[in-house]
Amino acid sequence: MTAAQTIARTIGRRLTRGRQIDFWMREIDPAWSLSTLRARVVDVLAETHDVSTFVLAPNGLWPGYRAGQFVSVEVEVDGVRMQRCYSLSSAPGDEHVTITVKRVPGGRVSSWMHDHVRRGDVLRLGMPAGEFVVPAPALPGKLLLLSGGSGVTPVMSILRDLSRRDAARDVVFVHAARSKRDLVFERELGELATNHPGLRVAFFLEDELRDRARGGRLDSAKLRAAVPDLEERETMLCGPAGMMDALSPMWTEAGIPHRLKTERFAAAPRVEVPAGAAPSKVKLALVRSGRTVTTERSETLLEQLERAGERPANGCRMGICNTCLCRKRTGVVENVVTGELSSEPDEDIRLCVSRARTDIELTL
Amino acid sequence: MSRKLTVEETDAFGRELEALREEVRRDLGQRDVAHMRAVIRVTRQAEAGGRLLLSFGLGPVSFAAGVLALSTSKILENMEIGHNVMHGQYDWTRDPELDSRDYDWDIVCAASDWRHSHNFEHHTFTNVLGKDRDVGYGFLRVTPEQPWNVTHLVQPASAAVLALFFQWGVAMHDLRIDETLRGTQPVRVLVQRSRPFARKAAKQLAKDYALYPALALWNAPRVFAGNLLANGVRNLWTFGIIFCGHFPEGVQMYREEETQDESRGAWYLRQLHGSANIEGGRTFHVMSGHLSHQIEHHLFPDIPAARYPEMAPRVREICERYGQAYNTGSFRRQLGSVVTRLFANALPGRREREVAQAA
Repeated sequence: MTAAQTIARTIGRRLTRGRQIDFWMREIDPAWSLSTLRARVVDVLAETHDVSTFVLAPNGLWPGYRAGQFVSVEVEVDGVRMQRCYSLSSAPGDEHVTITVKRVPGGRVSSWMHDHVRRGDVLRLGMPAGEFVVPAPALPGKLLLLSGGSGVTPVMSILRDLSRRDAARDVVFVHAARSKRDLVFERELGELATNHPGLRVAFFLEDELRDRARGGRLDSAKLRAAVPDLEERETMLCGPAGMMDALSPMWTEAGIPHRLKTERFAAAPRVEVPAGAAPSKVKLALVRSGRTVTTERSETLLEQLERAGERPANGCRMGICNTCLCRKRTGVVENVVTGELSSEPDEDIRLCVSRARTDIELTL
Repeated sequence: MSRKLTVEETDAFGRELEALREEVRRDLGQRDVAHMRAVIRVTRQAEAGGRLLLSFGLGPVSFAAGVLALSTSKILENMEIGHNVMHGQYDWTRDPELDSRDYDWDIVCAASDWRHSHNFEHHTFTNVLGKDRDVGYGFLRVTPEQPWNVTHLVQPASAAVLALFFQWGVAMHDLRIDETLRGTQPVRVLVQRSRPFARKAAKQLAKDYALYPALALWNAPRVFAGNLLANGVRNLWTFGIIFCGHFPEGVQMYREEETQDESRGAWYLRQLHGSANIEGGRTFHVMSGHLSHQIEHHLFPDIPAARYPEMAPRVREICERYGQAYNTGSFRRQLGSVVTRLFANALPGRREREVAQAA
């Protein structure tokens, strides 16, 4: 590479990654960037009493997506950046990208989105990802789209995509919800069923106890009654953990596990912290070195790691100089000086004043 | 003068400060982020304005305005943004632009060097002679407790040179050139330590004295001179603020043996007595990076500095209850006191004179 090329490349990198450029682009339009995927909120639509759809216009860095994928969404909750993954509910080719978010009781990000995110705001997004997609080249002949609660979002994206491509030839859409007022996309599903003779939509409502067939909790017997040719269908399933655990065995027992594709929503991190004193034994998983250290004592992480022969960078050993700052992937640690708990994933902690309250993963 | 506290009182004193720290930490939120973003915005605008005026302005008035704007931007960037972000005061926001490990400031000092010499050495061993290398920066005698040598005779002049080139002093601080001169640090180690500094210095020099002048075409000399002046103004300002933080009359120095097995409460006491505040208005505080609240900064180095003004009256009240002196004064008084001490300590003290006479 010639010197001129090196210089050109350096300047190019500075232009695209530089904070200066990003700042001035943001001054002109908060969604603009050469380095960060951001989206403007075009509209917020109330779907039910606790579910809203956020209609987004991403900036030029948006790479496109496949129906059924998810994105991580970053919001600033009272000054603190937090990310959660949400399935996209729109279909590729739609004018805008949408995510449909249920307000989780006690969920900091979903509550913040419902209470604070308004039209015109700008959200930071991650790249679309996920394997919960219909195989692109060969569309399945017979399809069962099966969802429960907020698990409807990726399945809805898939259905909208099929409808757009006029490929909903033989699709059964089964959705289980708590009650009629919790039904998301009810009207649109009705319209789709009218327009596509090959689409059949069935709802199960948990609180409709008088309806033997479609009321109460959806179980394998009710599902089989509603979809007699279940075994002949490619199935996409997304729902609450309980529902997925109850239904998934049907495919294994029938010897056709490959016919079932599932998507599990990771629950918002709510780690059970054992009350009272620190547990006697915790596992420290060191992600970079691949080591696992089991420790017995309730000493600080720095002391425990050193005892195990690790040599993490450190300085003051009293929580002021930040030399031992380390990213914690998962788990709960307690600050021994302040008693403050860190339970969010991917938080930076100071090893010298942190004590593990649960098993933890460190990027060491 | 401060009352001598018992062990129990010292612990209680520390606990009260920790309770205050915890109260503020819990309250951190949107307004702290909003403050920092506002400062960043002003800083970027001042920089752009200053550089445009220097590059494309005509005549001495726009030159002076350009220097003023660029100096303001450099001061804010170094003091209120760089120093505080690199302390980790905004790490809780998880905003990559406010991440202590990622931030690199607009001076010749490499961020990694500074985080070691400042965050660790200076903040842990504040004013401990022989441990805190910020005491006189290795060549100035700011207290009679430091041994005198003949180079101290010219220290008013050497301090003035340091003031003018302060960013270079800060940058080379962690290289420990003095130790190599004394033969306690091998040249090989010095060369190794110099690498981050050399890289950073080359980048800064290229930016201010080659790239920006070149972009101004025929106005290159004007930009070159303006950038030199702006860096100089920032150097003088930071030197003034920082020397007023630890060297005015009344600030205590400690011997290493005094701080062995120091309790947390005693550490707080040392931070209090090793620092001094400067009184002033809100703009002055922001321009000083809130190091005008050096006492609060040393007690709570990882609390966002913009919170120090509201914490200061509470700290002062705690100090009064425990009979502890709280060193504060106007910028003029504190700076005057520093200059007086630099002159007074240029000459050997009585102890040194007696030693000399006996010999």
